Amino acid sequence: MLWILFYSFGYKPDLYHSIATDRLSLGQYKLAASNTFFQTFMGTLRISLTGTALCFLIGFPFAYWLSVRVPPSRRPIFLALILIPFWTNFLVRTIGWRILLAPSGIFAGVLHFLGLHSTALEVLDTRGAVQLGVVYNYLPLMILPLYVALDRLDPGLREASKDLGAGRVRTLFKVTIPLVSPGIIAGLLLVFIPLSGDFITATVLGGAKGNMAGRMIYDQFLIAQNWALGSAMAVVLILLIAAVVLFFGSIAIIGRHIIRYRRRVELAIAL
Amino acid sequence: MRDWVRPLFGMWAIAVFLFLFAPIVAIVVFSFNSGRSLEIWDGAGLSAYVSFLSNGVLHSAIRTSIYAAIGSAIIATLFGSLAGIVLARRPGKWQIFFVALLALVLVTPEIVSAIALLIWDVRLGESWSFFTNGLIRLWIGHSLFSTAVVTLIIRARMSGIDESLEEAAADLYAPPFRRFRQVTLPLMFPAVLAGLLLSFSLSLDDTIISTFVSVAGSTPWPVYVFSAVRTVLRPEIAAVSTVMFLLTLFAVGVVALVLRQSGSNARNITKTLTGEYGGNNRA
Repeated sequence: MLWILFYSFGYKPDLYHSIATDRLSLGQYKLAASNTFFQTFMGTLRISLTGTALCFLIGFPFAYWLSVRVPPSRRPIFLALILIPFWTNFLVRTIGWRILLAPSGIFAGVLHFLGLHSTALEVLDTRGAVQLGVVYNYLPLMILPLYVALDRLDPGLREASKDLGAGRVRTLFKVTIPLVSPGIIAGLLLVFIPLSGDFITATVLGGAKGNMAGRMIYDQFLIAQNWALGSAMAVVLILLIAAVVLFFGSIAIIGRHIIRYRRRVELAIAL
Repeated sequence: MRDWVRPLFGMWAIAVFLFLFAPIVAIVVFSFNSGRSLEIWDGAGLSAYVSFLSNGVLHSAIRTSIYAAIGSAIIATLFGSLAGIVLARRPGKWQIFFVALLALVLVTPEIVSAIALLIWDVRLGESWSFFTNGLIRLWIGHSLFSTAVVTLIIRARMSGIDESLEEAAADLYAPPFRRFRQVTLPLMFPAVLAGLLLSFSLSLDDTIISTFVSVAGSTPWPVYVFSAVRTVLRPEIAAVSTVMFLLTLFAVGVVALVLRQSGSNARNITKTLTGEYGGNNRA
């Protein structure tokens, strides 16, 4: 991985060579931070943050349902049903969306039938399609750790909370979510990190409009054959991912301290 | 109160399942599309399967995939098993470092590992032609990730088995190798088999690393499909996808069965199949 860092200071010598490192400079970083590339990085960040949030919002109620409402004897069947899409080839699943979202495809037909949309569907090859695709592709990675965490939770704790007079919402926020927070963190990381580097979804569904950082790196390495720029982009991507993880991580830690502190104060006042 | 929440959860679950299965069903259905373009339905027929059966390039792509999967599964299982035993049985002060290293391998965005591998392959290929061989590149690339997964599976299994069994064998004068073959290996065998099949299907499905490291002449099937995405998608892509989907499903099904036979519960099976072990199995 250090080679990536080293190469990122190099340059592309001529048409027939992909890398040279006899002169080292920050030039590739300047290029990677230039306007068009910068916009793609920001677009990637937006897609991956929105995607992670959506995965959580869709996945949490589902994992809750699976671990709380479904009787234990039937859980393996539903788990297997989650694992099937998870183990289906990533690329194949994404191509499936091309069929569904085609201008006069199944999705367009359904919308037309419901009277919601009448002209040909123009979702394919846009940022919207990429957003949908990544939520779809990474949803199982969110559901599984959430399920494992929720499944481990003793149902007695929730019942105790209700017995002590806490409502449904209060129990969820004061008991369930704090206790499964390791699972939530694992899910968020498992979705956010690979999603940020994804280039397949963007290539299959994004067309010209839905570009992502992963695809830029892919293009620089395998099409433009400019390894120095590609390496610089990869370094920027890693730093961006690390920055986001650290940012939200520190917010979470500070938030927890504030809550604890306030609780202590409340307790002191009550006493 | 309970009455209106319950159906709401059920409906949500049905919606999630529909969402998850819609594109897979679409692929399977459209593999029977007899038209020329994948996305436009043009009557049902088996022409896609016929053209898949007569497409030599696609055959060699699948052959490459299978060779790559077998090779990398063997490498990953060998190294992963040994590393897993060491981590479970002789956890020295470096244990945290090694587990962190494994976690790092698992959380690195795959594209970053892929370009790092490409750079290494090309640099080493300048001196040793060994690294310009497409199949060897795929073996190395694929076994990297799977070794980490296998290590964690074996470690989890071995920490669940009491070491006194091996000590008893030693007390009964079994020499080290015999002790390993007759006591340790049978005990960890379900985990070894699960690891082997998991790394097999991980390799069979890998697209990102394969795209970067593969060389012309030995392209695995996802790379073939990926290049088709960039040019034109034909129904035979759906046909090969359906066949490979069934193959992967079969391998994963065998893993689940083996794990169940060995007495793991649903939670552990999930954890194994998702490779989600990130060092938190002590909790």
